[in-house]
Amino acid sequence: MGIIELQDVQKVYQLGKVEVPAVKGVSFCIEKGDFISIAGPSGSGKTTILNMIGLIDQATSGEVLIDGRPTSKLKDAELTRMRHETLGFIFQSFNLIPVLNVWENIEFPLLLGKTRVSKAEKAGWIDHLIEEVGLTEWRKHKPNELSGGQRQRVAIARALVTKPQIVLADEPTANLDSATGEQIIELMKRINRELETTFIFSTHDAKIVDIADHIIRLRDGLITENVRRGTPVGAACPTGN
Amino acid sequence: MIQEINIALRNLNRQKKRSFLLAGAIAFGIMIVTLINGFSGSFVENVNENFSHLMAGHIFIEGVEKTTTGRNYYFISDDKILIDTIESLDLPLQFITKRSEFSGNLVYNGKTLQQNIVGADWSKENYFSERMMILDGSFDNMSEPQAIILSKEVADRLSLGIGDRMLVRMKTYTGQQNLGEFVLAAIIADPGLIGSMSAYANLDYVNQLLNLQTGEYKIMGLYLSSMKPIDTAADTLYKALEGKVQLFTRDSDDEETNFVEAMMQQGKEEEWEGLRYRLYTLNDILSEVQDLVNVLDTASLVILLVLFVIIMVGITNTFRMVMLERVREIGTIRALGVQKKGVLRLFLFEALFVGLLGFTAGLASAGIIMAVLHQINWGMDTPIFILLKNGHMTFKLLPWQVIMNLLVVTALTLLAAWSPARKAANLEPAHALRVQN
Ligand SMILES: Nc1ncnc2c1ncn2[C@@H]1O[C@H](COP(=O)(O)OP(=O)(O)OP(=O)(O)O)[C@@H](O)[C@H]1O
Ligand SMILES: [Mg+2]
Repeated sequence: MGIIELQDVQKVYQLGKVEVPAVKGVSFCIEKGDFISIAGPSGSGKTTILNMIGLIDQATSGEVLIDGRPTSKLKDAELTRMRHETLGFIFQSFNLIPVLNVWENIEFPLLLGKTRVSKAEKAGWIDHLIEEVGLTEWRKHKPNELSGGQRQRVAIARALVTKPQIVLADEPTANLDSATGEQIIELMKRINRELETTFIFSTHDAKIVDIADHIIRLRDGLITENVRRGTPVGAACPTGN
Repeated sequence: MIQEINIALRNLNRQKKRSFLLAGAIAFGIMIVTLINGFSGSFVENVNENFSHLMAGHIFIEGVEKTTTGRNYYFISDDKILIDTIESLDLPLQFITKRSEFSGNLVYNGKTLQQNIVGADWSKENYFSERMMILDGSFDNMSEPQAIILSKEVADRLSLGIGDRMLVRMKTYTGQQNLGEFVLAAIIADPGLIGSMSAYANLDYVNQLLNLQTGEYKIMGLYLSSMKPIDTAADTLYKALEGKVQLFTRDSDDEETNFVEAMMQQGKEEEWEGLRYRLYTLNDILSEVQDLVNVLDTASLVILLVLFVIIMVGITNTFRMVMLERVREIGTIRALGVQKKGVLRLFLFEALFVGLLGFTAGLASAGIIMAVLHQINWGMDTPIFILLKNGHMTFKLLPWQVIMNLLVVTALTLLAAWSPARKAANLEPAHALRVQN
């Protein structure tokens, strides 16, 4: 069952009078619970595609469906609400809130929505996530007291705290050394299996691409390869629409 | 919301120096304005109180008698009807003073100086002696019938010492030239702005010089137990007297001219006969003081506005900088699900806290300065004596003024932060997240 579907998505950036086509007609389907890698060289359109899936940017043409729901006509407030409810974000440079400590950073998304969970339940869940990412000792520390790998672990916990269906990670390992990067990917993979959260990460590092179930390769804003568990797959979702 | 407040507070803490400077600027503005407010608040009270001491009363009654030849003689000959009326009313009266005064020339050793001389019954006005700051001589010397108390300035200008005798050239109540002699009993410190306004002598001798009979005098002063009811008391008294004696009208609708002057004019302009009384109050005399206070209050409001226009520019610029510094952070929280309004609130809360912090600090420092200034004893012989209370500066802050200042500061701070906050809220998340900083 497809949780994300891109239908002939194009994105053209306007740089003054110059039009920059960043994504030139891309269609693919992502299955729920998969661990997906979007790979490609710099400038190939990885960030642009992830931003459109993450509803922080809108396609110039085409449609992005999240859980079967078209998103191109939604207003900012509605997109924001969807981001909060169904998506989690992990960024290349961690993007933690500097004034909040580890625990508070992870808690932050929980304070935004309307759904109120009991304090104890919430605290238990945050503590569990902190343990999951191995930062129990660091829970009271501020981001600037942590290493890059530790910060990215906080970001992973923060992305998971709202129990989103999909977690998007744009080059989550690019600011880490390769050993730490691999640990982060391993951690994401483990959570993907445990919680059955769909993970989509982008990378231009060939070494970590292969860990994914589903690999989409890009070049110059076009898909060059779309392989799931060793088998090329079609552009449309088989059961979706 | 709580988290927004929490983050806004912590954000303030992030750039301590910057927040401190902003809040400090606001605090400075508030401090100045609060000091002016506090000073002008007690200004009227102190001036009124000091004047009430100097003039021996809050409500005054003068008598004017028109002769058949059309001349006006100023004196009260029979005050029985006045006293009876006053006593029949339930006025917050402490005591009644009876004084006579004239303006004459003091002559000593070839030097002449014009001086207003007030005669009072010192056995009844003993409180007055406590108010005077005697520099030389003694109040006890007033037992001598021709004794006089002069201010230091006057004594110096005439080179007079205690016990020296001087001549006085003046006119009786009917306008005849008269000559008298005073002996210097004491020298007092100049009572401030109105300084050498008066010298003080014994009522009997002053009456004698004026050619008034025993029991006659020029001005009756009603000394009330508090400043507040002056006007109501005066109105009550005026109404009670209206049917019994002739009175000059007390209409002070004419804002242009001084009320007391206008009443003086009445005596000349209107056609009338016999005996008329003139009733006026300290407030009438000091209406200009109230005008001055209004000017002060307006000035403080203008200062507040000017200061805050400057401070607002600072706030706007600072928050523009803050916005630029935090672009990626804003992108992040927008991605995590914070609505535009949430970002707006985050910035406005931060501004609000700067404003409140500044306001509190400003109010506190004004309070400290007031307390310190209040402690200083300026003495009775300073030129600003009339503004002080027993030589001490006093301040009185009206709650509505403080609240008003708070509202102005809050509104202006939020207004100043509004545009950068809006810009921050309207940042495109995708764009904001690409910014490297
Ligand atoms: N805001 C923008 N305005 C103009 N052009 C843009 C903008 N954002 C991206 N682009 C262009 O779009 C193309 C795709 O950019 P994108 O960031 O998606 O690539 P990427 O695969 O993520 O690259 P990298 O590996 O360097 O992050 C690039 O040519 C880039 O220059
Ligand atoms: Mg990128």
